[in-house]
Amino acid sequence: MTKIRFVTDSTCDIPTDLIEKWHIGVVPAFVNYGGESYADDGIELIRAGFYETLPSIDPLPTTAAPSPALAEQVIKATFEDAEHIFILTAPAKLSGIYNTLRLAATEVLPKGSFTMIDSGTVSMALGWQVLIGAEVAAETGDVAAVKNAIERVREESRLYGALATLEFLRRGGRVGWASASLGSLLRIKPIISVEDGEVNSLERIRTFSRAVNRLAELARQHAPLDKLAIGHGNNPEGAQQLQDLLADIAPPDTILFSITPVIGVHSGPGVVGVGVVGKSWRQ
Amino acid sequence: MIANTRLLICDGYVLKSLAQSGLSWLEHNQERINQSNVFPVPDGDTGTNMYLTMRKAYAAIENINSRHVGYVSHALAQGALMGARGNSGVILSQLWRGFAEALEGRVAFDAPLFAHALRMAVDRAYRSVVDPVEGTILTVARESTEAVVAAAKNEKDLLILMQIMVEEAQASLARTPDLLPVLKKAGVVDSGGQGLMFMLEGMLLNLQGADISVIADVVSSDSRWEDALVPDDEAGYGYDVQFLMRGTDMDVDAVRKAIDDMGWSTLVVGDAQLIKVHVHVHDPGQPISYAIGLGATLDDIVVENMQQQYEAYVSARQQQEVHVHTSVEDVAVIAVANGDGLKQVFITEMQAAAIITGGQTMNPSTEDFLREIDALPNNEIILLPNNKNIILAAEQAASIAKGKRVRVVPSRSIPQGIAAMLAYVNIRETSGNVDEVAAAMRKSIDDIVTIEITTATRDTELDAVQITTGQFIGLVDGKLVAANDTIETVVRNALYDAGADERELITLYYGDGVDETQATALVELLTDDFAAQEFDIIPGGQPLYPYIISVE
Repeated sequence: MTKIRFVTDSTCDIPTDLIEKWHIGVVPAFVNYGGESYADDGIELIRAGFYETLPSIDPLPTTAAPSPALAEQVIKATFEDAEHIFILTAPAKLSGIYNTLRLAATEVLPKGSFTMIDSGTVSMALGWQVLIGAEVAAETGDVAAVKNAIERVREESRLYGALATLEFLRRGGRVGWASASLGSLLRIKPIISVEDGEVNSLERIRTFSRAVNRLAELARQHAPLDKLAIGHGNNPEGAQQLQDLLADIAPPDTILFSITPVIGVHSGPGVVGVGVVGKSWRQ
Repeated sequence: MIANTRLLICDGYVLKSLAQSGLSWLEHNQERINQSNVFPVPDGDTGTNMYLTMRKAYAAIENINSRHVGYVSHALAQGALMGARGNSGVILSQLWRGFAEALEGRVAFDAPLFAHALRMAVDRAYRSVVDPVEGTILTVARESTEAVVAAAKNEKDLLILMQIMVEEAQASLARTPDLLPVLKKAGVVDSGGQGLMFMLEGMLLNLQGADISVIADVVSSDSRWEDALVPDDEAGYGYDVQFLMRGTDMDVDAVRKAIDDMGWSTLVVGDAQLIKVHVHVHDPGQPISYAIGLGATLDDIVVENMQQQYEAYVSARQQQEVHVHTSVEDVAVIAVANGDGLKQVFITEMQAAAIITGGQTMNPSTEDFLREIDALPNNEIILLPNNKNIILAAEQAASIAKGKRVRVVPSRSIPQGIAAMLAYVNIRETSGNVDEVAAAMRKSIDDIVTIEITTATRDTELDAVQITTGQFIGLVDGKLVAANDTIETVVRNALYDAGADERELITLYYGDGVDETQATALVELLTDDFAAQEFDIIPGGQPLYPYIISVE
């Protein structure tokens, strides 16, 4: 049995109790505004309060990867209790976090004692890769088995979101199509997916209830579900509506969560999202 | 412009002051850098990230007063590592780290050690990235370093070397769009490279004796790229002149002073037999005549019109801002609309290929449709009449159009047309089949209710509503439901009739007799009745109808 631990970044949205249960090291990303830089660690940035003030922050906050030094601290601390570390992060195509953690790990860990994985996605679609990885690690203690499981989970996991407004994605500037003209005159509530490091526009919808219905349809395409997580950016009613629509296919360990500010800067307030893993990865 | 004192060594005090001026110049230019941020992700914060990184780096040495350059640079690099933000910030921190490693244990550096430390810095930076991409901050760091390494073989003056470094950083930066297509497409230079260049330029300005802190903040945060590029000098960018002078017993310092009096960005290096001249001037003849007048032989003369390069760049960028909506392979839409705002919604927002001006009192003919069908290169076309009186003409045109597959989506109002267009933009990327696209569009037009507000042209009783000439009347899906002298009352009654209190989104397209203030004021009056609904106010500019409203 190899003692295996996990390091990820704060875009993973894993609830605190599970982070503690699996001793997961979480490196915070940063949100910059008003000339200051805040760690997305649940202490410097409080979720509910942040979404309430977000629309009035001008210019819009930006997000940034953590410093390599901070990443080194978290990695070192997690490694103290382990023989091998899996490092799963937000996609390198969207963020500098992957590279920062890679640099930090190379600096402080012995060669061969860690595995870097670009999850290709964020929020609980990343979170599920970490949590299932942790479950498999506890069962097998085998680095190759964990790696294999994560790769299969990665194929079967999806993240869908219904944005209440396109405004923040557009101003955030990380997504090319959002900057295009669509949605600049009319209010649009886009349905997006985050997959292989790309934020895709699946549909443009004008009313939020129809957008949530569409989210439920998209989640259903992956049933039977192994894992389900429903998140929101200060929109508990929207999350509840989605939960009701998916009640019949929700696994017992379904997670309801509040989306972390680093993602909220880009999604804007009001977002409802769903992270699913299809059961088929176990076959 | 150039200080006459030579700078042969740099100690901890000088490095600290250089770091401070690099930081100030980064801060001063951070918005400009943010604006050119497109690679790897166009999030417009590279300038901020590099500034924050450098601020933390400087904070680490702010209270250190040491002559020992190795000690100061180590602290600076530690600070940068702690403060590194974003891709470019991390690379910047690695540059400082490599630089500091080379200076470990040294009290000061001279030209050869400077060149060595820069090379170490670039090595570190390249190793910090999985797949180094050229056309980025890495390229700018490497090429400017290579220029210093080459020059340091003969040149001992650190000021001159710094000048060479900045010149090459600028040149390298200008070449980044040739290396990285995404930059060329966006018409910008690499933002990380730009940040590095500004940091180096700030250091150079310090060495040249400029006090950066007193330079007024001329780049406002909302300035556009055109503004950022406008030359500082009213006479424009002028000419870039470079040549080699060959002779005997030439006085380099005298030549430098004379050339510098003629223009700016002067660089004159060499010895009694060979001098390299580089200068920006408005009259390129002046430095050349001067050199010949000294009896020198001129070689490698290069004169570039920088104003022309700048104008070509600006014009190329402006060209790119024209949008193209349809490619020939796509299913194209021809929509009928009247009013500038509505046309813009169909064209810009919804990517219709063509608009035929028309509506309630101006019904386009079958021929009008046929003309537009012929004019489009597309073979598969959908017609959106957006009025019940225009549907027939459209169907007629579809049936007689030759050689093209034309379908009609029978939209009876502008809101129906817009709902259909939304379905069009959703499906066009995944389906190239005109029947599939038309079916999706048809399905969507039932999702919304249309309200039209206009004025009565005669006294009458219609649909059991008594109306007098000049009154406002409201129609819900074509059926008259309200008449009143006050527009607010008509709109409110029509909204209730349309079931808006149970729906989610109310969109008002205001007509050409209404301005935005009036439309906003009307919505204010309605929010008590429709508190749970979201309102969207769009300038439509349509004639005859003060408001066209969709409820969904």
